[in-house]
Amino acid sequence: MKKAKYWPGWVVIFSVLVGCVFDFGLSGSSIEEHSSRRRADIIKIDSLVAYGDLEKSPVEFLHDKHTDAMAKKNMDCTACHLKLNGQIYPKFKRIEDTGRIEAMNVYHEGCISCHGKMNIEKEKTGPIACDDCHRKKNQYTSSRQPMGLDKSLHFRHLEASENKCQRCHHEYNEAEKKLTYTEGHEGTCRYCHGKETKENRISMRLASHIACINCHLKTKPEKTIRPPVNCSGCHEAAFQKKIKKATMVPRIKRNQPDTVLLKAVSEDLLTDKSVSRMNFVPFNHKAHENSNETCRGCHHASLKSCKECHTLNGSTQGEGVSLEKAAHKPGSKRSCLGCHEQIKHTEKCVGCHLMMGRNRRMPDASCLTCHAVPISEIGLSSDPDHEKRIVESILQSKNRITETYSAEDIPERVTINRLSSQYEPVDFPHKKVVTALIENMKDDKLASYFHNREGTICQGCHHYSPRSSRPPNCGNCHVKLWDQDNPSKPGILGAYHQQCLGCHTAMKIEKPIGCTECHKEKISSN
Amino acid sequence: MSISRRKFLGWFGAAGLSAAASTSALAAGNKHFEGYPGSFGVLHDISLCVGCRRCEAACNKVNALPHPNEPFEDLSVLDRERRTEAANYTVVNRYEKERPDKPQFRKIQCNHCLEPACASVCFVKALKKTKIGAVTYDPDVCVGCRYCMIACPFEIPAYEYNNPITPRVTKCHMCYPRLVEGRLPGCVEACPMEALTFGKREDLLKAARARISKHPDKYIDHIYGETEMGGTSWLYISNVSFSDVGMREDLGVIPAPQLTSGALSAVPIVAGLWPVLLMGIYAVSKRKEMMFKKEISARHDLFQPTDEEDD
Repeated sequence: MKKAKYWPGWVVIFSVLVGCVFDFGLSGSSIEEHSSRRRADIIKIDSLVAYGDLEKSPVEFLHDKHTDAMAKKNMDCTACHLKLNGQIYPKFKRIEDTGRIEAMNVYHEGCISCHGKMNIEKEKTGPIACDDCHRKKNQYTSSRQPMGLDKSLHFRHLEASENKCQRCHHEYNEAEKKLTYTEGHEGTCRYCHGKETKENRISMRLASHIACINCHLKTKPEKTIRPPVNCSGCHEAAFQKKIKKATMVPRIKRNQPDTVLLKAVSEDLLTDKSVSRMNFVPFNHKAHENSNETCRGCHHASLKSCKECHTLNGSTQGEGVSLEKAAHKPGSKRSCLGCHEQIKHTEKCVGCHLMMGRNRRMPDASCLTCHAVPISEIGLSSDPDHEKRIVESILQSKNRITETYSAEDIPERVTINRLSSQYEPVDFPHKKVVTALIENMKDDKLASYFHNREGTICQGCHHYSPRSSRPPNCGNCHVKLWDQDNPSKPGILGAYHQQCLGCHTAMKIEKPIGCTECHKEKISSN
Repeated sequence: MSISRRKFLGWFGAAGLSAAASTSALAAGNKHFEGYPGSFGVLHDISLCVGCRRCEAACNKVNALPHPNEPFEDLSVLDRERRTEAANYTVVNRYEKERPDKPQFRKIQCNHCLEPACASVCFVKALKKTKIGAVTYDPDVCVGCRYCMIACPFEIPAYEYNNPITPRVTKCHMCYPRLVEGRLPGCVEACPMEALTFGKREDLLKAARARISKHPDKYIDHIYGETEMGGTSWLYISNVSFSDVGMREDLGVIPAPQLTSGALSAVPIVAGLWPVLLMGIYAVSKRKEMMFKKEISARHDLFQPTDEEDD
């Protein structure tokens, strides 16, 4: 018998099916993508993670939003932050967490009381209900950029602190259990303050905010440049760009040497010749200071010499990295070879260096370019002045321009006509390219140090053959098809295009583009 | 015959339990087909492709396909993402969604899977995996059901919808006639950047691995096609993530025929054995009833005939 129907059955089934297809509107596009949702001041409140699994999702807290709101009410940092030793402590309303319930209560009482008060007074305020703070889905994405001091900013801080290094730099004395300052022992904060707080060694996050913000808050009102005290002032990319760059930054004074003779082991071990017979490396420390924004580029864990932690066989202090690896590891930013490889892949150099595999074995003779001073030249007694003179003389003599063959030996134009079925032969302006490359490199100290034999730069294109003023043709080695025994060796068509187009694309050379600018189309007779 | 409610529920529950206790339909097997030994393939180095469309032009010429509306020198067709079509065995697409300043190009064509879904699904054997690696198509036996188009995980086979009398399924056949003569596929020969290299599949895998290890920071450490869908003869290495150039990364390593072989292998049993079995059971139970009725009517001195009807 027919029952009274509210909806016809087919309508219900149809709408359910449509809802299934479109997920009932639950999965919308992520609202995080919108630009207003990208902020640098997001703090993820998940302090309870130290006490076990979280019952509710972490809270996305927007710090700048709160400082702005507090400023409107004429309240400062002390509204939410306690003071420790006269300095604002960055944790919320406490110095340290004592327990799970206590930590939770600090936040709930601290946040909800203020929101509740403002709510009663009918002001626009933050959430009070549980799931409005502990949201399941993130509402914002972080645009926070890491912040640090480069040489220019450090110099400006030097001026601001009247050259009193002890204002920021300190060391921890384990015996007396207090902070001390010794002149000549300054280093970056990160040498001690790491990612996490370990016992009484606070994390870099805590240390930097305590040190920086408290000092910034003390800026006298008459100063025109106001250092940042809120999140975006340091961590927002747009504000970072606005940081004034000092025009003439003098060299940091830390008693660092101008030149060093790098030895594999300390002097006392050198008397036993079997420990290390490696040639010494004359190292221009001053020049290398200019190519790094901070000392941490090379001195990543301390300002000591590398070999003190990176022993010949590796030590626990050096995390097992041997001295050889520390100096030569190809992929690392901190090793000599690795850093040089990175520079070789910058736009100015990458055209020739693109095809050279980073893990390739360097030619044996190239070791001598760096390892230039045999032990015998120094002798067993290391007289520092004698060493210094040797190092400086070698470094001076290496500061030449990039070597090439004489002008008559470099052909003006080269005709490439090995394949010409569809296109005319290529009239290649050979000398123009060589001259442009040399011009590009002339001020580069690294390039001229290593391109120190004539014929070296020719090998950018005339590769896999000995240095010569009459190198072989591409077609002598690259035949019609690719080489199965040597998978990176293409056939002649691929060789031409990968070499030429590879360089042009990597170095972002505008012309020539398209096919016919290099070789005109052949007008077919049929 | 009458069946009580209790009995019905009992049978139903038993059927449900036995259905729940069954395992998945995938065929049990630890055999892994690595391709016919010595079969050929093509390695596509996506980092080298510049989107010049010479491969499309060569394919068009070699297969005597009709000329398209836009010439192959026209690079504006790359503005939209295309797929293979009846007269386009292969297309080159430009991808710049992820990095607008550095567009990537990729060539799309049949991947010549080691165990092709299209060949598995074709019940007239129009699509065949040949021993030299190419998956070929025989238009003479094709019935135009287009199961192959549905089955292909890469959505490659196209169809001549405009041809009403003798439509064909079209797809790249790795220039099988040229391979048999010892020549290269048209696209491979034409590529000026040598983004396509032809050789034995095992040699290409070695070459791809060598290239990746020579430039570990340039290439993604994965050869697409080494294991996807059980392995394909057309291999890809890339400097950007494969999904950035429109390649599916969710296909898994199980070849397509293996996904259905379990269920399909049950078909002969279901079609052949079950009818016989069920009819037998029916016949036996019907006979049992008939015998029972005979016995009752034979002994009418003991039993009174009733008016009850069997239902």
